[in-house]
Amino acid sequence: MNTTNVSSTVTWDEVDVGYQLPVHEREITAALIVGGAISATHDYAEVHHDYHAARKAGADNVFMNILTTNGLIGKYLTDWAGPTAKLKSITLRLAVPNYPGDVMTMSGKVSEKYEKDGEHLVEVEFGGKNSLGYHASGKAVVALERRKS
Amino acid sequence: MTLTRERINEFIGIQSERTEGPDKVCPQMIRHWCEVMEDNNPLYQEEEYARNSEYGEVIAPPMQVQVYTMSPIWPKAQREPNMMEKFVAELAEHGYTSIVATEQGQEYFEPMKVGDQISYQISVDKVSPEKQTARGPGYFVTFLYEFTNQRNEVVCKQTFTILAYNAISNE
Repeated sequence: MNTTNVSSTVTWDEVDVGYQLPVHEREITAALIVGGAISATHDYAEVHHDYHAARKAGADNVFMNILTTNGLIGKYLTDWAGPTAKLKSITLRLAVPNYPGDVMTMSGKVSEKYEKDGEHLVEVEFGGKNSLGYHASGKAVVALERRKS
Repeated sequence: MTLTRERINEFIGIQSERTEGPDKVCPQMIRHWCEVMEDNNPLYQEEEYARNSEYGEVIAPPMQVQVYTMSPIWPKAQREPNMMEKFVAELAEHGYTSIVATEQGQEYFEPMKVGDQISYQISVDKVSPEKQTARGPGYFVTFLYEFTNQRNEVVCKQTFTILAYNAISNE
């Protein structure tokens, strides 16, 4: 298994408000949409696996469910911060759908940096954009490690 | 017949019973999740790494919490429908048969470890006035979830907003 992210821990000391997270691109395949709905999140809503049901619901094609979007954002955050970072919260709002054949570009920026209950926290404003516009945007709070002195 | 505010208010603020999810937290469901997400966080799947972490063992991705409580497509749950299910049925009766999720907020507390049994309680928190949207007329409905483990510790508090709408079909 790939363990390259083990060493890439970001510490609280090295980020400030305005810090930009690295941009990550994810191909939106039909396998990601249907596998995300049925295999990863047990969501059998027809609009996530049945083309005609999605069309009847006013969509252009099957589209990603919100739990998969949330999972991709969580992965984006810990890929950046490393496995010692702790996800405290993720709040996201969906706009345009993720359809098969598109690419979602995820970005993020540190919008707050603070201490609370002994934890060293950052708030990240994130966005996931595809060819139609913003698919998801929101805020997450992550606890980071201190730099080892 | 239109859906009156008085009728809508009958569904709001009533907490469901605590409902156990069908599967305990397990390495198989963690792997299926990580496979689709392409998430290689070693806390989720690498036992040796996780043993030396603050958790002392593998944990499930916190974002996965709701997955352990999703109703199976078969067999249908043998329980009284909760207020979310009743309200979604009420909306469907009035023509708002299509549903799309629009917002989700998760706040994480206790980590999920292999063998944990996740349960949830749900209530209808708020309902918007009828809105004209690009997909058709509909209501934004926000639900509150609380997920707990078998020790009755809170794992996650979640807000979940859907748009239930009368779709303008593309077919």
